[in-house]
Amino acid sequence: MNKSTLHIAILESSKIICEGIQAILYQSDMDCRIRRLGTLDELIELLESNPVDILIANPLQFVNREKEIRKIRKSYPSLSIAGIDFGMMHKPSTLTDVTFTLYDSSEHILHLLLKLDKKSQSHSNEKEGEENLTRREVEVLTGLVNGMLNKEIADALNISIHTVVRHRKNIAMKTGIRSQSGLTIYAISKKIISIEDIDL
Amino acid sequence: MADLIDGNPYLLLMLQHFNIDFRVSDRTLLQLCHQYGISERLFLSIANLYNGSGTGGEQPFTRKDLLQVIDFLKSSHNYYRFDKYPQISAYIRQLQENHPEKELKLLEKFFNEYFTEVREHLDYEDEVAFPYFITLLGDDKYKNDRQVYSSREYSDHHTDIELKLKDLKNLLLKYITIDNDLDLRRKLFMSLYELEFDLYIHSLIEETILIPSGVDIEREQNE
Ligand SMILES: [Fe+2]
Ligand SMILES: [Fe+2]
Repeated sequence: MNKSTLHIAILESSKIICEGIQAILYQSDMDCRIRRLGTLDELIELLESNPVDILIANPLQFVNREKEIRKIRKSYPSLSIAGIDFGMMHKPSTLTDVTFTLYDSSEHILHLLLKLDKKSQSHSNEKEGEENLTRREVEVLTGLVNGMLNKEIADALNISIHTVVRHRKNIAMKTGIRSQSGLTIYAISKKIISIEDIDL
Repeated sequence: MADLIDGNPYLLLMLQHFNIDFRVSDRTLLQLCHQYGISERLFLSIANLYNGSGTGGEQPFTRKDLLQVIDFLKSSHNYYRFDKYPQISAYIRQLQENHPEKELKLLEKFFNEYFTEVREHLDYEDEVAFPYFITLLGDDKYKNDRQVYSSREYSDHHTDIELKLKDLKNLLLKYITIDNDLDLRRKLFMSLYELEFDLYIHSLIEETILIPSGVDIEREQNE
């Protein structure tokens, strides 16, 4: 099968913005089909019967509906979400995979979307293969299973708490283990810590 | 209905949670719904979840439907509490006895702690959340007593009890070295997968049927 059509849904109530994004996509050589949606509920309905590879969304649509978004991500793991940044978001949203602003160039936006496409194709292989933790991640993990708090780990390694959190996320993603007690068993089986250090 | 069960035996779990006998004879789905006084819409919504399609929510369910949903959820709780978790626990115990690796001791400890957390989750729902919903769905005379709690509050505290189950599965699939004992290990895996499957749908029912319906009723009553 050659390169398949990309199914893109745009969740944005502003007609101007919607048409703008649509124009950028259609003028590119990207092979895509675009659906326009006004509400999150329309998205949920669409997903039930149609494939969607990429959702481009105004993050305001997600306000107070974070749980539903997580549920959607869980039910449709191959769906990628690109958020439109209106300059009001101060921290990167955890609900989106990438964001772009209304002032980004068309090339930049297309580039981001294409990258997302690749990601959704290699989604399943990417998770495996990448089990090996970096040295820093091992250090963070060691702190974690020794019961250190984020702040303590950050101080000990001389990095910011934000970085510790990022490492923790990566550890969870690579190992598939999320709980601290589960990570302890992981660390022992990988001989990162010795079982003698743990009281049974 | 028998054909449907043939196609997806997990539907047996659903029947059990609805308290429907497995001997469905030649009855159709509709006849079965009639016999047990369950609305077709409710039955289908949940059956679709078990068949891997649909997200459950969005349709308006009647109060009678929702009371049946609560019975369904309670019955699943008992299946977790008295059947599935104890079964898994017994397998892990056996595995621990068969193999000297210390990791397995840790794994057992991990599982026991997890089971305790799950029990707390289930008890909380049985003792606090569900009674609230039952009152909410009942007559208006209790209106004043129930302001202290809300669907939102339940939703905000609703934890993900499948998380550690995934950890357990991954530890066994990828990391913990045990040799042989394939029979026992397969049984353990099959139990874990069955539990994971049912638990996933269980949470979906709580979050996409029970909570949104509760929010709607609260909104109506506050108008
Ligand atoms: Fe529950
Ligand atoms: Fe629950």
